[in-house]
Amino acid sequence: MEKAEKRWLYVLIIVFVIVNVVTLSSLIPWQSWQLWQNPEPAQVVKVAYNDYTITMDTPVQIKAGEFVQFSATSADVTYGFGVFREDNSMVFQMQVLPGRENQIIWKFDETGTFDVRSTEYSGPKHSDMVVRDAIVVK
Amino acid sequence: MTTLGNMEKWTLRFAVVALLFLALSGFEGMLMRSQQYNIDSLHGMEALLNNLRPGDVEPTTAELYYAMLSAHPIVGIYGFVYMAVFGAFYFLVPYLIQKPVKHPKLVVANFWLQIIGVMTCWAAGFFGLFNAMYTLYWPLPVAFDRVPVVGSIFFMLGAAAIMVNILLFSYNIFKTVLSKNGEGSYTMGQFLRAAFGIPRLLKLFGKEDKTAVNLDYNGLPPFIVAVARGSIDTVINAIVLLSAGVLILVYGLFALFGHPLNPLAVDALIYKNIYWWGLDMVADGNALIYTAGVWYLLVPLLTGRKLFGAGVVKTVIMADLLVSMGVWSHHLLGDTSQPMWMKILSGQFITWGEYFTMGLTIFVSLMTIWKARPVKMSPAMKFTLGSMFGFVMGGIAGLIQANVGLNMVFHNTQWVVALHAHTFLLTGVGTMLFSVIYTLVPLLTKLEFKHPKLVDWHLWLWLIGSVSMAYAMGMAGSNGMIRRTLYTGGEFSTNTLAAFIGGSVVSIGFVLFLINLVSTIGLKNVLSLVLPDRKTRQPDPLQAPAQ
Repeated sequence: MEKAEKRWLYVLIIVFVIVNVVTLSSLIPWQSWQLWQNPEPAQVVKVAYNDYTITMDTPVQIKAGEFVQFSATSADVTYGFGVFREDNSMVFQMQVLPGRENQIIWKFDETGTFDVRSTEYSGPKHSDMVVRDAIVVK
Repeated sequence: MTTLGNMEKWTLRFAVVALLFLALSGFEGMLMRSQQYNIDSLHGMEALLNNLRPGDVEPTTAELYYAMLSAHPIVGIYGFVYMAVFGAFYFLVPYLIQKPVKHPKLVVANFWLQIIGVMTCWAAGFFGLFNAMYTLYWPLPVAFDRVPVVGSIFFMLGAAAIMVNILLFSYNIFKTVLSKNGEGSYTMGQFLRAAFGIPRLLKLFGKEDKTAVNLDYNGLPPFIVAVARGSIDTVINAIVLLSAGVLILVYGLFALFGHPLNPLAVDALIYKNIYWWGLDMVADGNALIYTAGVWYLLVPLLTGRKLFGAGVVKTVIMADLLVSMGVWSHHLLGDTSQPMWMKILSGQFITWGEYFTMGLTIFVSLMTIWKARPVKMSPAMKFTLGSMFGFVMGGIAGLIQANVGLNMVFHNTQWVVALHAHTFLLTGVGTMLFSVIYTLVPLLTKLEFKHPKLVDWHLWLWLIGSVSMAYAMGMAGSNGMIRRTLYTGGEFSTNTLAAFIGGSVVSIGFVLFLINLVSTIGLKNVLSLVLPDRKTRQPDPLQAPAQ
């Protein structure tokens, strides 16, 4: 290996270590409860998918700063569960596979009203799978 | 133009058809971009084209959009990229190793079977409204209340033809590389042992196999090593996709004859793991290895200087092969049922292996160019540098989304498909294939491109257009725009309009390239490539190695 190649390899290794340490740490807020904690959710929200329909008791009332678990099931094909702000930006999402209990824990640190949208293509009517004002965080 | 040998002619035929598929894929892309901006923009065209479809079916705009979206990557990847790769490799491999193509008739079969396969998939979308996307997430392709069963069957038949054809191509390339200059050839077992470096590994542990043939690539050019090792990924990809296609085909045929099978008999998560493992052999396997090989070939050729650090690059290619087999979980970071250790190990850490291999590949290529100064900025050199930029940009975007933490807000957004996939394919692979065309056309025809200024216009319009298109949609993705979703409320219209303009700039660049190409070769000569040869057939046309 040439000297210059070695030096470049060291640069690559340094960047690799820095980026991975930072992004696996709790500097990314949700990594703290995804990887480093095992929080007990204050409430569990059940979401059911079937025939292009998202069924959940809306509006879900959530307290900011509390852990909430979303548990989604599908009776037919793969869908997605995504939570979106009013400006359409995404808070988080997960895939909803049939035959499995798809669970994610989240802690909202912002108040407001949020939409739920299917984030995985499930057929030509997929784009209509939106539940407006599904979640209210106070 | 000089008289072309048959292999040269076939290479140019592959190139012409590849460019036609690129044009078709680009046209589809622009149609979809206009629908993303305004969902009603194509109503007139839809009504007109409905007259061509069988029966009295009047598909919705969404059905047509998603059918087109399903066909689009098949045309772009298996039509444009694979056809171009077939043509280039069928010329370059025999040229570099000075051996004829082992099975010349397979070259002709590959040409036609690829066209038939791609067009069958396209027709399954256009006529049969197949809309399950190329990802084929189980059980959507067998949910026949959403995906028309006849369309699904035809799509799978087309996909099967493509995959069988890729296996035939790989077989022919392997046999050509493995054939001895004298009689006979090495066995596939010997080749695979050599490809994975097993004899060398054994030697390290003091267990040298003295009977092993010297196939550890020491004597072969890096490009050939890349072709051979990349083709292992190609074969695995084709086998996995072929198996998925056959499974869906079986479900389709049973449904067609009134005996539907239970979709839940197949576990969606296990299927997704296996499918992505195979599919990623293209996205994170042969695409990178073949590209590295092309740079290892073109950079020394264009600079007239030996590849910097040539001893390391074969190891890098081998590392790329191993890495490509372990990265698939980065497509399942949104699946909460996927074990976290797999997400971190396979999805994140092993994916960074590509950063090391491509990082070293680009470094040695750039160092070679640097040390060869002053370098003539030929068309091929400009496009080679452009393609490196595309891979850096697309690669960084890929590393961001292949991160357990960041994927939470990037998964399935336009970021993935725009800043990563389209940057890789248009700015990276597309620009790289143009560099090959700019190298091969003068080499084969002994003609220099007629309008050097058009080469520059092509380069800059292609780069600026593809980057601005990807950037516009990538920013939409980072703001929450989901891929494969038709927004009807104008939520991201500024981004989609900017992407439409970017796509138009790319198209203008491509048209300028075609004008330059046709005026260089001559329309008559281009047509003679695709029209039947009137001359008496020459004996044994493809046997002689191209010179």
